[in-house]
Amino acid sequence: MADLIDGQLPLAVCALVGLFAAARIVLEPNTLRKLPYLNVLGFAVAGSIALLIPHPLAILAASAYFIGSTLESNAIASTYAGGKKPGD
Amino acid sequence: MLIEIARIFAAAVIAGVLFVTVDLIFRLPEKGGVSGATGIGTAIAKGGGALHGGYMMGNIVCSPDASAGTLLAACGVSIAGIPGGIAAAVLVFIGNRICHDPGYAGTTGAVLATGVIYGASFAGFAPEHFIAGMVLAILSVQGISHARSSTFLDRLWGWRT
Repeated sequence: MADLIDGQLPLAVCALVGLFAAARIVLEPNTLRKLPYLNVLGFAVAGSIALLIPHPLAILAASAYFIGSTLESNAIASTYAGGKKPGD
Repeated sequence: MLIEIARIFAAAVIAGVLFVTVDLIFRLPEKGGVSGATGIGTAIAKGGGALHGGYMMGNIVCSPDASAGTLLAACGVSIAGIPGGIAAAVLVFIGNRICHDPGYAGTTGAVLATGVIYGASFAGFAPEHFIAGMVLAILSVQGISHARSSTFLDRLWGWRT
């Protein structure tokens, strides 16, 4: 186990934080309050992508994944909050 | 191993201070940028949190802000050095426009983070430490206790105004 983590500590941190965030999403009953936890999960997955793939296009993959998940959270939150209101 | 753990925690503190400062300068806690961010802020306030801190957390969820800029800049620098950080800043800028965000918090955060991560490399920090550090920093804001973190952000916002 120690050999596995040695040199991979940042990846281990991302994986553990991702698992923790996933558990919080499942346990949180309020949909709007699930989204900050989903945001943490997005950070953990985007970080893991960059740590696992040492290729220049991995920046594009991590950014595309993260921005896509943000846009989805934005859409879900705005739908639950009643959509666009005057003055937005 | 112990030194690496210490560096990850130090990077978490540096990244956390950086993104909270940039977000406060760009007035993220003032109001929700889209109705979804306002909704998340109101839900957090109902759960015992503070309203303006909740707005900031809602804005972080709804559009790539300085925290996303810091994370993607760290990813970019770890893969391709300084040009990778600049590429991440461009991608965050595009992401802001996609997410209906008129602000520049994300882009500014990414450019500043690229500089900070480059500077920290002279002190023995690897960009990978900042990736893990930023994940821990966002966990402390968004993933532990919404009531406490929003109250804390609200107090910082009180100092800002």
